[in-house]
Amino acid sequence: MENDSLYEITVYTENQVGLLSTIAGMFTRRSLNIDRLVVYPSGIEGVHKFKIATRTSASMARAVVLQLEKKVDVIKAFYEIDDERSSREAAEVRNFLSMRERQKQ
Amino acid sequence: MLTGAEILLESLSARGVDTLFGYPGGQIMPVYDKLYDYSDKLRHILVRHEQGAIHAAQGYARIKHAPGVAIVTSGPGATNVITGIADALIDSTPVVVIAGQVASTALGTDAFQETDFIGLTTPITKWSYQIRRPEDVAWAVARAFHIAGTGRPGPVVLDFTKDAQVGQALYEDVKCDFIRSYVPVPEVDDKLIAQAAEMIGKASRPFVVFGQGVLLSGAEKELAAFLDKGDIPAGSTLLGLSALSSDNPHYAGMLGMHGNLAPNTLTQHCDLLIAVGMRFDDRVTGTVATYAKQAKVIHIDIDASELGKIVPVELGIHGDAREVLSRITAAMKPSVRDSWMKKVVSECKAIEKDKVSDPEINPAEGPVRPGEVIARVAEVCGGDAVIVTDVGQNQMLAARYSRFCKSRSFISSGGLGTMGFGLPAAIGAKIADPSRKVCLFVGDGGLQMTIQELGTVMQDSVGVKIILLNNNWLGNVRQWQELFFGKRYSFTRMMNPDFAAVAAGYGITTVNVEKRDDLAPAIDRMFSDDAPFILNVHVKEEDNVFPMIPPGKSVDKVMLNNKDWFEYGE
Ligand SMILES: Cc1ncc(C[n+]2csc(CCOP(=O)(O)OP(=O)(O)O)c2C)c(N)n1
Repeated sequence: MENDSLYEITVYTENQVGLLSTIAGMFTRRSLNIDRLVVYPSGIEGVHKFKIATRTSASMARAVVLQLEKKVDVIKAFYEIDDERSSREAAEVRNFLSMRERQKQ
Repeated sequence: MLTGAEILLESLSARGVDTLFGYPGGQIMPVYDKLYDYSDKLRHILVRHEQGAIHAAQGYARIKHAPGVAIVTSGPGATNVITGIADALIDSTPVVVIAGQVASTALGTDAFQETDFIGLTTPITKWSYQIRRPEDVAWAVARAFHIAGTGRPGPVVLDFTKDAQVGQALYEDVKCDFIRSYVPVPEVDDKLIAQAAEMIGKASRPFVVFGQGVLLSGAEKELAAFLDKGDIPAGSTLLGLSALSSDNPHYAGMLGMHGNLAPNTLTQHCDLLIAVGMRFDDRVTGTVATYAKQAKVIHIDIDASELGKIVPVELGIHGDAREVLSRITAAMKPSVRDSWMKKVVSECKAIEKDKVSDPEINPAEGPVRPGEVIARVAEVCGGDAVIVTDVGQNQMLAARYSRFCKSRSFISSGGLGTMGFGLPAAIGAKIADPSRKVCLFVGDGGLQMTIQELGTVMQDSVGVKIILLNNNWLGNVRQWQELFFGKRYSFTRMMNPDFAAVAAGYGITTVNVEKRDDLAPAIDRMFSDDAPFILNVHVKEEDNVFPMIPPGKSVDKVMLNNKDWFEYGE
């Protein structure tokens, strides 16, 4: 059996109504208890950020993140045991968005 | 200026939509009122229950390879399509559901026929959106079709408030082929392609398992070319059927619980398992703990969350099946494989024919067996018909004994297993392509779940051929009760109506078949024209579908009948 740890799942999304319940539903479906939930503007224009802490295994955290990323209005999702790397994540989101901007042209 | 209702209909036409399956009611009446003026552009099929509308849209979508559209009123109209939305999500079927909603000013007040339809459908849609202003209609429709039909397809809901339907706005068609947070077709790194080609080159017993992803990406030719060049055998999931023609020399048969012996055996004896556009459903894998443990796994799928979800993979390729297969084929060396796998396939086929198929499709005496009905229909149609099934024994047997020579010829509810899916899905399929024969195999239980759609068949003269495998039981459940619940037949016996009399009420011809000698002439009569027809065959009542991998068993431990088991190498 894999060990459970406290994971911080970070989700960057478009600013659309209803995303909170979409995201929360993903946790309920897998019977994951949400220990902490914070929603705030990410610092990137028009992009929201959810931070959700939950106690689970690495493979479950990965599966949830991949299924969250499937949602149309979710830009990127990450999971980490600690949240030290959130600035690196933000950089990754910026890169992704500018790549998409280039692909659009 | 146009009303929101008119903008909806204009935007649908602009997307190439020509058929809507629907049912009117209070909160969608402004749209229906305008639809009256659009009958030259948009054909509306009036179903008899909204579940019929969504399943018909699904059947239509599977044939057209484009989103099907269902249109319903708020409240009960909307909740009646929920089963079909869940079905479309799990089976990756593109559908757009347009539901009426109370005026935006009344939202949240428990107004008459108000339900939180977005809230109800969020977990079972690919995307859902409430349109509250006429200005947003064109944008929402364009976005809905883009999302439903691209990447891994799925259902989308548009919840359309009444004030947005009657309010006015300027109409200009909106295109949508780009959403920055949504990447429908990911780019695939050359390194992964090279790695796959190398793994295939090194393997001595590679085996391909493919699913509906091949059909959805239009990769039928690429799959066949890949199998040819690599000399690799392949097995199909239920929903992958018809992606490869039944007589393709590399085709080993259907995978899973009621699949063929050969592909299930190869799964447990290959050294490289190459999964293409399939998701390792538990009906395919049996117990995952022992599934293909000896093999390395390459998994190709357009949905990244499928890679490694059930079966650990050595190489996951997140991409479109058609592109990935053609690039791997180009990168790999042609091979001629040792004959071991070919020997396994032919031995398995011989055993299955002898122990299961022959007794089922060529019985000398006794009641008519469902398998012989399906085999006979397959013979007459020459693999050319669209085969639609309901759920249960009829479904598994139709999958086993039908033959396919054209792609996109098998329509069934796989992931959700929705009884009642068959009749409306067959209606949708026939409307999508009237030039093809559409044969529905259905049980007496499933037919009665949506039997009201015979009214739709009547009103629109939909020439579906309904083959009722009538055993007076909920056969599939009865089989499980017989095998795993000590023959305790708890509420699975069905007292049935006189189906011919019911059909006569709808003006649909029915022929009842009780004796074997009457079967072939009745089938010939059924296909003598293109009119709706019910062939009500009284089949053996307590019959079982074999081979069967009992739940919790490994896929190479197979029941051949009530007493004999098969495991390769014994
Ligand atoms: C809506 C729904 N309810 C219940 C079931 C469970 N179920 C699966 S197969 C089956 C029996 C089907 O009987 P019938 O339609 O007569 O077909 P047969 O198996 O005899 O071919 C049942 C009840 C289901 N799949 N779908």
